Amino acid sequence: MSWYSEGPLTRITSILGGALDDVSRVQRGWHWNTPRPHTWPERGTVVPDPPTDLGWARVEPVRSIRYLIQHGLLLPFTEAMAHPKVEGREWVRELDRPVIFAANHSSHADTSLILHSLTDKARDRTVVAAAADYWFKHPLLGNIVSLFLNTFPFSRTGGAQAQLHSSSQLLKSGWNLVLFPEGSRSPDGRIQEFKPGVGWLAKETGTPVVPMHIQGAFQVMPRHQKLPLPGPVRVRIGKPMTPEAKEGTREFTARVERAVRTLSAEPRQPDIQGTWVERWRASKPRELRYGDD
Amino acid sequence: MARPGAVIEVDRNTPPVLFHFGEGIRLEKLPLGARIVYPPDPLDPIAHPERAIKRALAKPMEDDPLKSLLRRGMKLTIAFDDLSLPLPPMAAPDVRQLVMEEVIDMAAEAGIEDLHIIAALGLHRRMTEDELRHIVGERIFSTFHPDRLYQHDGEDPENNVYIGKTAEGEDVTLSRRAAESDLVVYVNLTLVPMDGGHKSMSTGLASFRSIRAHHNAKTLLASRSYMNPPDSALHHSCIRQGQLIEDTVRVFHIETTVNNHAFPAIASFMQKRETDWTAQDQAMFLATKQMTDIAPVAFKRNVFHAMRAPYGLTSVQAGQVDAVHDQTLDAVRKQLTVRVEGQTDIVTLGVPYLGPYNVNSAMNPILVVCMGLGYLFNFYRNKPVLRKGGVLILTHPCRYEFDAVQHPSYIDYYDEVLADTTDPIEIEKKYEMRFAEDPWFRQLYRKSHAYHGIHPHYAWIWAAHAMEHAGDVIFVGADRDVVHRLGFKCATTLEDAFEMAEQTVGRYPSVTHLRMPPIMLADVE
Repeated sequence: MSWYSEGPLTRITSILGGALDDVSRVQRGWHWNTPRPHTWPERGTVVPDPPTDLGWARVEPVRSIRYLIQHGLLLPFTEAMAHPKVEGREWVRELDRPVIFAANHSSHADTSLILHSLTDKARDRTVVAAAADYWFKHPLLGNIVSLFLNTFPFSRTGGAQAQLHSSSQLLKSGWNLVLFPEGSRSPDGRIQEFKPGVGWLAKETGTPVVPMHIQGAFQVMPRHQKLPLPGPVRVRIGKPMTPEAKEGTREFTARVERAVRTLSAEPRQPDIQGTWVERWRASKPRELRYGDD
Repeated sequence: MARPGAVIEVDRNTPPVLFHFGEGIRLEKLPLGARIVYPPDPLDPIAHPERAIKRALAKPMEDDPLKSLLRRGMKLTIAFDDLSLPLPPMAAPDVRQLVMEEVIDMAAEAGIEDLHIIAALGLHRRMTEDELRHIVGERIFSTFHPDRLYQHDGEDPENNVYIGKTAEGEDVTLSRRAAESDLVVYVNLTLVPMDGGHKSMSTGLASFRSIRAHHNAKTLLASRSYMNPPDSALHHSCIRQGQLIEDTVRVFHIETTVNNHAFPAIASFMQKRETDWTAQDQAMFLATKQMTDIAPVAFKRNVFHAMRAPYGLTSVQAGQVDAVHDQTLDAVRKQLTVRVEGQTDIVTLGVPYLGPYNVNSAMNPILVVCMGLGYLFNFYRNKPVLRKGGVLILTHPCRYEFDAVQHPSYIDYYDEVLADTTDPIEIEKKYEMRFAEDPWFRQLYRKSHAYHGIHPHYAWIWAAHAMEHAGDVIFVGADRDVVHRLGFKCATTLEDAFEMAEQTVGRYPSVTHLRMPPIMLADVE
């Protein structure tokens, strides 16, 4: 009988060898530390852990700190880089109920451009839906972004009813919501198809949707570019759209998408932006409006 | 009640007097016996401007209430004065904004879809978006700009129409939009008696062809002064043109006047008479003087141009142009008039950093002349404060500096025309059409923020009457080469200037200092 057969040492060696073998096989099988083969499908989005709703970001003193950060840093920087030209600010000046801002999405700069185009009052009551699987993959990053922009995690897989529910809770508790219904940044600057979440939320909560179009952000900071470059930007805000009783979620989403696409056209679009009379009435100072009543 | 203007005789106890000196200030001791003319204190403003405006629109003069003139489906145009007044620009909200908001509210109520708002800038420069926003306010700007709120272009061949000739043969043109409107509402702000009335439409919405009928040396030499419309050939011509315009298009005039509260609290010492200066005013003077002495010109300019005047609305009237303007002139005169007995041999004036044509830019030498010999000299009724052949002494550094964006044609005018001659009539004969029709200046006027090519000539002839009237003009503390190019004399100090003046007016001359701004109108008996 050989010295190495059936002894306890042989067993231990065999177990360790088997384990190493397994690790090695798995490593080879899934190409650790090597690029994904191009024949493999794109990595699918994941359903993240049940998110925290980041309630801390929407209470004092965080709101005051955010106000200082935005006014001292974010808004001046946005102004210097893009000098955004805003059309239709009257629609967000005197909001008497929460709204969903639905904009096209071609750049990381979009969020700051939208916040820049809002009035102080509207901005202070606005939360931004940020992709849960992107911004909240690393909790620290997610929390920092939330401190700056008042973001909350929003699933873009389309199946997380719980998250849509938390968004509708936010709307119901008086917060405006910035949504990018395309789901992710456009790869080429063109508007992609809208996902139906925006329609669902609007229908569920009866909230008006304010269509917005951002032109030029793709040139400022396209996908895969790490740093922004200065460039002119135009933000156009349309008049609030309310879902009709008979309108389905997808139909309403399609209508919002059409509105955003129409806003991208060069001349003013009275159908979406409103006639001057409508815009003039919308911008009437609230105290006077009550005075007239 | 506001204190009226005053004429004070300098004695041993009179404190030194403030002289404006471009973007700087000086304190000067005037000779014993000299007179200092102080403007009246600001009149009390109307407590509720919005109510006054509503009342004026509801009960206009010799016209129907504005509400009854507005109807669905009509073509309505609102025109308003540009940033050349008031000076300094008014602290927000501008009176024009308040008036226009009221008019637009009425138009919205009437369901008028076709409403355009035009800045009636004549041949002045286009305003920047921020300047425009400051005048009309954020609400009007965001609702109407840029497709329904825009600036008049006097060189646009498509959008100006020829209306006809007056009995005196003056051509009249008008903005096409205004000419084709069912109603034009003109919103005016009158700071000095020269503004408003028929002049608003006939210069603000006109082209060179129309404006040259009265903006010429002959007319201005016959306007004594253009700050007193009854004695002004310029205004007589504007009235003839305006009457033709009123025959073509229905115009509803709204005119407003403001008091002369030109300086904010931080510079209140400039608003006060020196005898009223408190220790705080003296400290502010010293601080300002030190700052202006040592700071770079660009810095000083930015500080001064950022100043906003706390003007208060003193009257608002609406309706038929002549009736409205008579009342406007009464209100302006009530604020500005100071009675002055007799003329003097020497008049001294401090030229400030700002005139109507250099808002947010440098006051170039031609504009210094326009301001000193043009506007400030002409603030009189009956007779000039200076006797014929007397000496005008002005304080201004008068540097060779031009804003190439706003005043490109001024550079050529100074370098070429004034090197040739300074005689307004001769210049007009030789150079008027060359500057007016220069394609590059025309392009800059239309697309950039430049004054029209002919504008330096208008600025120059604005001083024609003073140049003809004064025996000598002496600039104190100015750049010698520049002043000699302008055809005047230069002195280092005010004392030197008085000695030089004695060569023209003789020994022991009478001296009057016009302490402006704040502005005033000397009613000389």
